[in-house]
Amino acid sequence: MQPAIEIAGVTKRFGKNVAVNALDLSIPAGEIYGFLGPNGAGKTTTIRMIMSILYPDEGDLHVLGHRDTEAVKDRLGYLPEEKGLYKKMTAGEILVYFGRLKGLPRGEAKRRAKDLLERYGLGDRHDVRCEALSKGMGQKVQILGTIIHEPELVILDEPFSGLDPVNIELMRDLILDLKRRGMTVIFSTHIMQQAEQLCDRIFLINRGQKVLDGTLEEIKGGFESGIHLDYDGNGARIREIDGIDRINDSGKQAELYLDPETDPQAVLRALTERVTIRRFDVRAPSLHEIFVQSVGGQVDE
Amino acid sequence: MNDKIYLVAQREWLENVRTKAFWIGLLIMPVILVAAMVLPTLLSKTKDARAYAVIDNSGWLDEAVQTRAFASDLAIMLDRLGFDGKPWPEGLDELAALRTEFVDQPDRGDFARQSTGVDPAPSEPRLGAAQDLAESIRRWWDSLEPDTARDLDRRLSKAQFRQVPASVESRETLNEKLGDDQIFAYIAIEADPASSDDPASYVSKNLTDNDLENWYRRHATAAIRDRRMELRDVDPELATYLQGEFRLDRSKLSDSGTAESVSMNDRLRQWAPVGFVYLLWLSVFTVSQMLLSNTIEEKSNRLMEVLLSSISPLQLMLGKILGIAATGITMVGTWVICLIGAIIVLPIIFSGGAVGVDFSFLLSEPRYLISFLVYFVLGYLLYAAILVAIGSVCNTIKEAQNLQSPLVIVLMIPLLLMIPIGQDPNGTMAVVLSYFPPTTPFVMMNRAAGDIAWWEYAITTLLLVASVFFATVAAAKIFRIGVLMTGKPPNIREMIRWVRAPVGLIPERREPAEASDGGGQS
Repeated sequence: MQPAIEIAGVTKRFGKNVAVNALDLSIPAGEIYGFLGPNGAGKTTTIRMIMSILYPDEGDLHVLGHRDTEAVKDRLGYLPEEKGLYKKMTAGEILVYFGRLKGLPRGEAKRRAKDLLERYGLGDRHDVRCEALSKGMGQKVQILGTIIHEPELVILDEPFSGLDPVNIELMRDLILDLKRRGMTVIFSTHIMQQAEQLCDRIFLINRGQKVLDGTLEEIKGGFESGIHLDYDGNGARIREIDGIDRINDSGKQAELYLDPETDPQAVLRALTERVTIRRFDVRAPSLHEIFVQSVGGQVDE
Repeated sequence: MNDKIYLVAQREWLENVRTKAFWIGLLIMPVILVAAMVLPTLLSKTKDARAYAVIDNSGWLDEAVQTRAFASDLAIMLDRLGFDGKPWPEGLDELAALRTEFVDQPDRGDFARQSTGVDPAPSEPRLGAAQDLAESIRRWWDSLEPDTARDLDRRLSKAQFRQVPASVESRETLNEKLGDDQIFAYIAIEADPASSDDPASYVSKNLTDNDLENWYRRHATAAIRDRRMELRDVDPELATYLQGEFRLDRSKLSDSGTAESVSMNDRLRQWAPVGFVYLLWLSVFTVSQMLLSNTIEEKSNRLMEVLLSSISPLQLMLGKILGIAATGITMVGTWVICLIGAIIVLPIIFSGGAVGVDFSFLLSEPRYLISFLVYFVLGYLLYAAILVAIGSVCNTIKEAQNLQSPLVIVLMIPLLLMIPIGQDPNGTMAVVLSYFPPTTPFVMMNRAAGDIAWWEYAITTLLLVASVFFATVAAAKIFRIGVLMTGKPPNIREMIRWVRAPVGLIPERREPAEASDGGGQS
């Protein structure tokens, strides 16, 4: 199957600053692909080049098999990081407008706008002006505007930012729904947990350079396993145990990475003396750990 | 490609025509227009004839003033009544006779003065008959009521002023009447002004409205002069000769080379362009500002990227420019239609020439309205290109105001020179500014009354169209970089560098090195 996006040796500079450096990336069709990376790493620049809002200085970029990305704009859906709506237009009108900009005929756009609003629980907001919508509803309208033309490839830049848990849930369902309908979905995020839950593959970029890409299993396989611990008690006392290389302590949960010669059983014994353990298991590292390991210490901020 | 431009334009138009500001702008002009055409008439209709009293101790002056007032009213009646839909006074056969029998008189003013005895009559036997007729008209005139007079002609003195008898009353009783608003003013003539220098007095509560004062003074001065000549035994004919005024017939050289007399309409035709320049300026300015604020709004509402994922920056820019153009055309088009409608309909509603200002020449000489519409479109397109570029690089209205201030200064030039150019439409300044594209629309509109040669229209329009083209190309280059910028707006030099960067309108796969999306990437 033809990859949805094929990036070969793409470089993009802004003045002296190299935003994306000799990037190679292939994104297969029909999967959910996560773009991860710290702020300023080049995620948005890469996405803007895919959307032909920016153009690469060097290298080659094919989207849905076309080098001329203008030609496939109607087959793409894009939700930028900074998203807005026309305040004076109603939810229905704005969906129809976005649909028609993507080449839908008027009647079809109207029908789909109505359907989409009904399906995602906004049926009664069809004639409400966008300025009167709550933030969550506004975001829903925005994403519906992104998919009203049934694109083959949907790119969501930070779709979860600013959403409450209920709306995060809805957004996640929506993304899975898109995948079920055969679309390729790319989304960028800071929140590793979401990437871990949703993505078939991830791409990690830092300072314009690709750090990692591949399926979650492939990537995790390349990293050592760690101890995942749920506990009650004083986390500082865990650090007293010998043979622990690193610890990510979140207060009630912790990830422990041991020195190669340390026996996990010994660590378990030492732990039981210090804190109350509710869960203990040894498994592949979390995406968060991989992120910190790969990027740690060299984030620009 | 064109479909998407049309879609953007359509949305832009719909959004703008839904705003209150648009409807206010749309309706205010016709309202002002109709008011300007009708109000003067309505006002003078409702204005009561000002009542006045005269205490005349000279024994002759007021009578002489009344005779002169009658003479000038008679001239008006001979001149106007029965023409142009003006009514004819009922049962006044003498006037008809006077007019038909003395139709050969060269000057109706002179004739009226001679037949009423104000001026000495030349020894012509027919004038005796005229004097008889005038005398019976005078009897009718003496009892003419202001309301009736106003229906005949507003300019008649009988329509404006009404004398109340005051011969036996003292100044105290007149002061009381003034206090009660029974009369508007009174004039007290204590001594015979022909032999004394003591001033007479004019007493009123309202000294700003001096129509009555001026009117009375004018006639009284003339009467006193006659009287003094008489007292010194100056031959009446010599007196008339000596007092003859310098006569100046205003006329304008027409196309055929013959001088025509200047009517009210000619003056209106001369100054109508100034009104149109003001309207043009107002509409170009407000409509292009609309474009600026819409562009900034779209930027601050974070809509640019969503739109640019569906359409190219060029499509977006052209769509916006055209959409706002449609809004503007809707507005000025409505104005023009209202104007034409008012010109046709108002005289029918207010039958009998009651419309104060006659704009009908706008229909017979369409160059005014055509210039207005054409220069609106071209002027708007030029300023739209510049303002959409400015809007694209700014994030707030305030930043945009700073950037556009040089432009506003240029825009002020035609507004400040409106009157001087109207007075001298083919002067050097007017001609030079016609060839400067940013002022071309306004100045050419301003010069519309000045019979401009066709080639001048052709060259200035060509220059204007060319600058619209180049401004739009330059704007497109700035726009496609500017719309994605979030930081501080670039300075003019940076923008000029963008314009000169070797990229086409439809972007190729290269960006100028200066381009920056201002740290928006993450």
